[in-house]
Amino acid sequence: MMFAIINARLVDPASDYDGPGGVVVADGIILEAGPDIDIDACDEIIDARGRILAPALIDLRTAKEPGLTPDGETLSSLAAGAARGGVGTVMLAPNARTPQDSPDSLAALVRTFDDHGVRFLAAGAATVGLKGEQMAEIGLLARCGAVMVGNGDRPIADSRILRRVLAYSSQFDFWLASRPADAELSAGTVALESDWSARMGLPSEPAISERIAIERDASLAELSGGKLLVDRLSTEAGLDALRHVRVRDIEIAASVAVAHLTLNETDAGDLDSAFRMDPPLRSEMDRRALVEAVINGEINAVVSDHRPTPFDDKGEPFALAIAGTLSVETLLGAMLGLVHDGQLELIDALRVLTCGPADLLSLPQGRITAGAPADLILIDGDIPWVVDADALASPRANCAWSGRRFQGRVLQTFVAGVMIHNHDG
Amino acid sequence: MSRAEFSYDFPHRHLLSVADLNPVDIAIIFERAEVFLKRNRTPDKASDDLRGLTVLNLFFEASTRTQGSFEMAGKRLGADVVNFAVAHSSTSKGESLSDTARTLAAMQPDILVVRHPATGAPKFLAEATGLSVINAGDGMHEHPTQALLDSFTLAQRWGSVGGRRILIVGDILHSRVARSNIGLLNILGAEIRLCAPPTLLPTDVDQWGVEVFHDLDAALVGCDAVMALRQQKERMTGGFVPSEREFFHLFGLTHERLEVASPDVLVLHPGPMNRGVEIHTRLADDPEISLILDQVESGVAVRMAMLELIGTNIRKGYAA
Repeated sequence: MMFAIINARLVDPASDYDGPGGVVVADGIILEAGPDIDIDACDEIIDARGRILAPALIDLRTAKEPGLTPDGETLSSLAAGAARGGVGTVMLAPNARTPQDSPDSLAALVRTFDDHGVRFLAAGAATVGLKGEQMAEIGLLARCGAVMVGNGDRPIADSRILRRVLAYSSQFDFWLASRPADAELSAGTVALESDWSARMGLPSEPAISERIAIERDASLAELSGGKLLVDRLSTEAGLDALRHVRVRDIEIAASVAVAHLTLNETDAGDLDSAFRMDPPLRSEMDRRALVEAVINGEINAVVSDHRPTPFDDKGEPFALAIAGTLSVETLLGAMLGLVHDGQLELIDALRVLTCGPADLLSLPQGRITAGAPADLILIDGDIPWVVDADALASPRANCAWSGRRFQGRVLQTFVAGVMIHNHDG
Repeated sequence: MSRAEFSYDFPHRHLLSVADLNPVDIAIIFERAEVFLKRNRTPDKASDDLRGLTVLNLFFEASTRTQGSFEMAGKRLGADVVNFAVAHSSTSKGESLSDTARTLAAMQPDILVVRHPATGAPKFLAEATGLSVINAGDGMHEHPTQALLDSFTLAQRWGSVGGRRILIVGDILHSRVARSNIGLLNILGAEIRLCAPPTLLPTDVDQWGVEVFHDLDAALVGCDAVMALRQQKERMTGGFVPSEREFFHLFGLTHERLEVASPDVLVLHPGPMNRGVEIHTRLADDPEISLILDQVESGVAVRMAMLELIGTNIRKGYAA
């Protein structure tokens, strides 16, 4: 089937185009894109009526819950949330509950990827159980479908092991996602070391923990020839370190979680457990610095860091609560908030959600150009809505944006030319 | 060209490193080894070429095959061979290597065959004792007789190893066998390829006159011979390599993988083998391809050649 979307505001960060246009799609592939397209042969024409047409988003950091978890987030509920949020490509990243360190179970997981509309990708564990002690079977994980490796929220504390993991994964051309934190400085902390956390009496990590880690990790990447993905940069101190190490000849990339771009530590003002994050929420200065870094092109990818958690885990005081928030469905809404606020241009907000992550992994999607997969979203940039955690696709409800007023919503999501979400339908 | 056409005698009194040898030295060693190889297959293996000389096997690391091979080589040449199990004696009582050296030298042996866990120990002993020393493996540095016997084994099949494409696969980082083979094969003009995960390669190894691969299937293309290295079990459990099964999947030699190599490809292994880790058990036992037992046989012959050549020079030294 051949169809077209016309009369759109076409926003394609890969080609730096933001203007009137449309696309023609055939067999799941973009046939033509731009202001002048030939729609004569199309079976169906969707009139966008001036609304935003962009590449479907690519989210390099999400999680589901372990299989058979009662009321847990499954691949299908995650896919449903992603489709509603305009995310066409979803990476399952390893975390403590689902370490993804066994090639056999990863292979079984990957076999179920095709049934959900969105494109799933998997990152394998860098070390067994994410403990940072023993290298995981990275080569077999690669054979079973992993496209990169990571160590979840745990930094690999032992520099010798990190060196070897970086060197070893380089033979598969894999990125190693490494949480930038000095393991000892950050051990047992739940907040940024700041006036706020000091007054609240929370165990807190200094921002330089991130700087130390980035400098160490980057030095080891330089030594070993490995590819280092700074997994959720969150402080200005860390950003300074990133700028310094980028002067050298290192393969280094950085992601930022949407929470750190749109929230700060005072959002948890009265110690609301919904704002317990890992890395913790930072200061407003840090948040602004990260937004600047997105504008400057220093951030390769913004990730949702979607983390479904049972109420039991969040039903604890802030300092004891399990970190994380649902965010795949609210990712775009939160980013559009920055755009409406005048902090960020739409094309810059979309760049780190589309071609930025696509280029890291050499994915063909994430761009609107002839020959690319027809992974597209149609967005109404103005519709107001209120986030209701219980109305999200996830069976969980731990959403930091719950109750927030968003402006702008995904109307339709296409993956390989197939509509997997229709807001009106 | 035979040695008779040169007015050149084997000049060495030690074998510490393959780097001390030139192509003519190596030709002389191989020529003598071939004589011994043939003689060892007859009932008249023994001679009295080294009668009166004492060979001291000084193994600071446990070894059965290398030590046995040297012992047999010495005995077949009529030398008195004494095995000094140092691992269990004076050094465990805290004696320094220079004191051990003085003690041993006082017993007036002629040739020390030394294996030691520390790089440079054989050279140290040669300097400390003034005796002839054959390096039977020092740390991760060199194992010259292994490299000589590997090339000799191949030369028996091919006539010469020059111009042949030879792949060394496995733990190069910790391997003295690999270092000596790289040195020797470069002298002999072979084309050397290495294949290992980045964690098992020495720093800047691409500057050693080799081509480096991480993908075994690419590395094997057109190879005339493959040397599999022995993998230490303790390095296969998450430190350098995640697991033995992953190593076999990525770097293990099998008949199927060898299909891209030369049709007459040969496989060597210094032993002892870990079947199913670095080499498929069926391949290890394939007499068409595997030279593993030929290497063991060549080992005795090459070590006889070394002992004979060095022994001759020791006698010359006395005569002078």
